[in-house]
Amino acid sequence: MIALDCDDLFGTWRAQARRLLSHGIDPAQVTWAQGPTDDLLAIPAPLPEAPGPFQGKVPAALLEQLEQAARYHGEQRWNLLYEVLWRVAHGDRTAMMAGDRLGSELQRRIKQVRREAHHLHAFARFVPLPAPLAEQLQLDLVAWHDPAHDILASASGHFAERLGRQRWLIATPRDGVRFDGEQMDYQRQCPAQWQQWAQHADDPGAELWRTYYRHIFNPARLNPDVLRQHMPGRFWRHLPEGMLIPQLVGQARHGKQRDGQAPEVARQQGKQIGKRE
Amino acid sequence: MELIAKLGILADAAKYDASCASSGAPKRSSRGRDGLGATNGMGICHSYTPDGRCVSLLKILLTNFCLYDCQYCVNRRSSNVPRARFSPEEVVRLTLDFYRRNCISGLFLSSGIIRSADYTMEQLIRVARLLREEHNFRGYIHLKTIPDADPMLIEEAGRLADRLSVNIELPTDESLQRLAPEKQGSTIRQAMGVIHRGQQAVADQPRAPRFTPAGQSTQVIVGADATDDSTLLRNAESLYQGFGLKRVYYSAFSPIPDSPNSVPLAAPPLLREHRLYQADFLLRGYGYNAGELFKKSTSLALDIDPKLAWALENREVFPMDLNRAEPTLMARIPGIGLRSVQRLVALRRERRIRYDDLIQLRCVLDKARPFIVTSDYRPADAEQRSGMLRARLREPQAPVQMGLWG
Repeated sequence: MIALDCDDLFGTWRAQARRLLSHGIDPAQVTWAQGPTDDLLAIPAPLPEAPGPFQGKVPAALLEQLEQAARYHGEQRWNLLYEVLWRVAHGDRTAMMAGDRLGSELQRRIKQVRREAHHLHAFARFVPLPAPLAEQLQLDLVAWHDPAHDILASASGHFAERLGRQRWLIATPRDGVRFDGEQMDYQRQCPAQWQQWAQHADDPGAELWRTYYRHIFNPARLNPDVLRQHMPGRFWRHLPEGMLIPQLVGQARHGKQRDGQAPEVARQQGKQIGKRE
Repeated sequence: MELIAKLGILADAAKYDASCASSGAPKRSSRGRDGLGATNGMGICHSYTPDGRCVSLLKILLTNFCLYDCQYCVNRRSSNVPRARFSPEEVVRLTLDFYRRNCISGLFLSSGIIRSADYTMEQLIRVARLLREEHNFRGYIHLKTIPDADPMLIEEAGRLADRLSVNIELPTDESLQRLAPEKQGSTIRQAMGVIHRGQQAVADQPRAPRFTPAGQSTQVIVGADATDDSTLLRNAESLYQGFGLKRVYYSAFSPIPDSPNSVPLAAPPLLREHRLYQADFLLRGYGYNAGELFKKSTSLALDIDPKLAWALENREVFPMDLNRAEPTLMARIPGIGLRSVQRLVALRRERRIRYDDLIQLRCVLDKARPFIVTSDYRPADAEQRSGMLRARLREPQAPVQMGLWG
């Protein structure tokens, strides 16, 4: 059994996998570590030092797909990729297709990773720093986000497109990225200071957004299951509107379902408009 | 009035418009440039409200003062609602603030009719112009178009916005006359024609300034009058063909406060709305035509989806051999979507399709099973009568919600 560690880096895994493949080493003979206790049963054998004779050809699209799937956090993160690579390199292209049992899992992971990148684009919320602090830190906007997969490095360029010359950072429990208006600075280990700024930014302006959220909701159409399906509960904590969700659902259930108006508007005095002459 | 108070009133007044899409815009980026905003064709839902609807744009009215008296509308002039009006600068401020926070991908601005159609349209255009020209805003802009506004103004709006929409609201002229006396079907279609011609004028000219690159859409209210599904969908079909519309939105009529007697006070017909969207997608994505869906009835079944309903009425086409059938026909099998069809076609180039493949593809096999043949499977119930199949496949119905207030 060959026990390997790629430090969760795709480039490292790729070099290792290429070497293994060239020696025709079967996926059952290899394991990648996922934690310190992972390979107690494996009797470690080293990776061969020089490239072997076998030259498998794989389509370029496969490498892209493997790289995408590698961002997925889960069981057999690296082993699964080698198994797919092995089968395709030996002529079985179905291993990367959704109809196949292994291919289906590969495609599912790619889909989950893509979905998680989308979650970043959708649910990361920036807090504008007050002008003096922004000047001091050379930073306009900070965001805290907690993604389930390794998508920050590949997906955060999106915000440079959106925010122009604004300076921003996104901190997560693992990694972080900072943009100074021109250059992106990605850190695999998020600096504690960034995390501090992002998690403790004061945000009085959020009330405007919460007001909008409360009022664009139509209580006569209450359907919280669909909300939950598209916006998983794990994100609510970090959304300014998250705390309103249970409250609005409760209100709608207690009698507000008869029409669409928010109670705050119903309480105000109305005004009919005279006919034009 | 404070900005936050206006926001409450004018968001509340805007919630009855279903559309919140931010997709279909061309690629724009602010990277390394002054200003703000990007689009790449994909829409982003930044939040969801507990009604299950996506929040993609800041959807507000410029004002809910209105001279019209459309019976179904919460903002009609005889409605007793609090009124407010934003200045264009206030809308700009809100849009940019929410955009920076990543709460929205753009603005969807509509308005009550004040002074005149032209004046109202000018105000909407002013907001879009401020955003685009003063603030270099490259995010998504959707403007509601006032049907009676001068065609020149509509064209101007089309050069600033990604999407324009003119709401049909009610699908027949009789209903419009009864419930929205100030509106006319003919001027609504004229405005759609102005937008469509604007799009065609730049269609083959990559260097021409963009004109509503994300297309035009409309909304029709479902359940405020007695119009049947067949009329709604035939109407939608003619709009897709006649004006190249991107989307028709169906909005289940949601009871309004201070409701006049001319419109129902019942819970919104959400399931009917859902079936209309499914049928509409069959028209746009699957190549069905409206006539095929209404051979036996003028309304869509509520207990089964329209694709299944069509398959049950057309049993002679099935069971279909997945190893041989044309892709466009395969897409008509219940429980197998467009994406699965693509994947099956790719897979069958490599080898024969087996029953297990459909499980891996996560097709809805309960629905598909009676209609398919694979290399190792042939349905035992292919001969089973449609009535029995339907009884087995119908979705459990939620108990009908009683109209407590009507």
